[in-house]
Amino acid sequence: MKMLIVEDESKTGEYLRKGLNEAGYNTDLARDGTDGLHLALTTNYDLIILDVMLPGLDGWQILKSVRHSGQSTPVLFLTARDAVEDRVKGLELGADDYLVKPFAFAELLARVRTLLRRGRNGTEPTTLSVADLELDLLRRRVMRAGKRIDLTAKEFALLELLMRREGEVLPRTLIASQVWDMNFDSDTNVIEVAVRRLRGKIDDSFDTKLIQTVRGMGYVLEAPDPE
Amino acid sequence: MIRRLSLTARLTIMFGLVSSTVLLGLGSVIASSLQRHFADQDRDLLGGKVMLVHHMVERISTEESLAELANDLRDAFIGHPDLAVLALAPDGRVLYGSNGVRFPAERLSRPQSLSRLDAFEWADGPRKFRGLAVAIKTRIADAPPAVVAVAVDIAHHTQFMKAFRRTLSAFVVGAALISALLGWLAVCRGLAPVRAMKARASAVTASRLDQRLPVESVPIEFADLAYTLNEMLARLEDAFQRLSDFSSDIAHELRTPISNLMTQTQVELSRARDPASYRELLASNGEEFERLARMISDMLFLAKAEHGLTLPSIERIAIEREVEALFDFYDALAEERGVEFQLSGTGELQGDRPMLRRALSNLLSNALRYATAGSCVRVSISTESSVVRVVVENQGPTIDPAHIPHLFDRFYRADKARSHEKTDGTGLGLAITKAIVIAHGGSVAVSSMGRMTSFYLVLPANR
Repeated sequence: MKMLIVEDESKTGEYLRKGLNEAGYNTDLARDGTDGLHLALTTNYDLIILDVMLPGLDGWQILKSVRHSGQSTPVLFLTARDAVEDRVKGLELGADDYLVKPFAFAELLARVRTLLRRGRNGTEPTTLSVADLELDLLRRRVMRAGKRIDLTAKEFALLELLMRREGEVLPRTLIASQVWDMNFDSDTNVIEVAVRRLRGKIDDSFDTKLIQTVRGMGYVLEAPDPE
Repeated sequence: MIRRLSLTARLTIMFGLVSSTVLLGLGSVIASSLQRHFADQDRDLLGGKVMLVHHMVERISTEESLAELANDLRDAFIGHPDLAVLALAPDGRVLYGSNGVRFPAERLSRPQSLSRLDAFEWADGPRKFRGLAVAIKTRIADAPPAVVAVAVDIAHHTQFMKAFRRTLSAFVVGAALISALLGWLAVCRGLAPVRAMKARASAVTASRLDQRLPVESVPIEFADLAYTLNEMLARLEDAFQRLSDFSSDIAHELRTPISNLMTQTQVELSRARDPASYRELLASNGEEFERLARMISDMLFLAKAEHGLTLPSIERIAIEREVEALFDFYDALAEERGVEFQLSGTGELQGDRPMLRRALSNLLSNALRYATAGSCVRVSISTESSVVRVVVENQGPTIDPAHIPHLFDRFYRADKARSHEKTDGTGLGLAITKAIVIAHGGSVAVSSMGRMTSFYLVLPANR
């Protein structure tokens, strides 16, 4: 997976590159619009992360040129201005998603993975499984180590999200938005409580804990490394 | 281009012009009626004399008595130096001429009849006269009428009129000057409130926006203006106050978390530690940063809302559905706190769904935070004519009435000691709720008594 980051703020750019590299992606970093457009048009990327405010060419112009050249590479744009017009403009120009600065890195990673997954075609699985945990999407049943576990609808949705994104750290805001359709930051620990309750049903009576808390970032479901 | 004269100068000039015009008009009316009066007086006098002469001439029947007429006339007009008489015999001879006055010949050749006497004026050298010329028939058979002319010297009238006009013009000039002066004084006095207002207005600065123009002490005409300007000042003061509150709020609210971040980072860095400590520090910093980021985006939202928020998308919303979705969201939290949710009533309105959700969510999380364990958080929805009412109630500690008016203020925390607790959010939740409700054209209120706190939202059903 190769992606391009166009970001003029050097610290942000470096950290994005570092974070994405460590997440297993191969990244190029362009520090201004002209370089960014040149790289975007000459290299085959799987994803472009584009800052809107750039010296030289701005993000909109790059986006326009990229789409004009017939490339359908997914584009995620970053903006410091949370104006509706900005978002609408970006999406109209053909961007696939956007993030408003400041954003959580986990959020960016989650969006990046969603965009990369979107490009891939494949048959939707009807069952998900991680270690000895199995989720039957059709019958809406959950089994762990052969034992049936009863979940409420929202708990099921939360578990499904965590399992589909196995190994990804999901920030609280993303969970609230995907599971409950609440697209704002709640100032309560509601997600924490919901995850704790899910854990109570999934993990508590088992030795291997699948749901992990990543402090300061969010939650991840994965089979622990055998040590 | 019209010259920009001061109001005082304009009014002074206008006063002078008006009073001189009025006085000039009055003076000319008086002068002309005086002149007419003199003319009438003279005509009456001359008419009387003509009648006298007429009487004398009428009786003349012979040439001899005609010659006698001169003596009679001299007797009759003795002691009247201002009067002149000329009698012409029917054949044109001068029978009698007094004072050596020359009458205009064309008037003598066209004498008037007694029934229509019309005085004429003429000048003989430096002297001016008004006179009558009459044809009078004698009893002498077949003789043409004799002509008698009588005149009066009108020099004294002319003299009087000249003096009168001189006095009048002097008076008009003087009066115009005096009224201009008085007008100037009056204008200066009348405009004193404007100067007072100006002095007061120049005292208004960014740091002293509380200055107001005097309304009671100025005339009614200015009171209205002063009142309007005061209202403008009040609006400015309010906006200015909010702006400066906004900046000081931000500074104040940022100080604590940033000081925490600085201290803990510097303490951790002051000596070598194991990786777990560093991880702990970074995680803790990360949490604090997230809180800061959330505060900034909430502040921006509020800043936008205070400049008139436009609702991004308006749709028909069933409020009870939104509340149910939120109950679902807060379900785990409520259960953990031993609080139950109750919903009653329905209501439909037009609005922006995510924003209304956010507004209601803040009320619910607030209610949950303060609800007593084992109690019930109740949401009642009702529709009355064109408004939808939403009441969110929880049992819990009664809020001090002193805090009630400020609950929707930014960063206002009734319990100061509790600020910056991890679950306590940014202190902007209720302010955001209020901003959203106002953007929907509604209003918010709160009451708290007897361990029951209720938040009321009133929203128009249609936009």
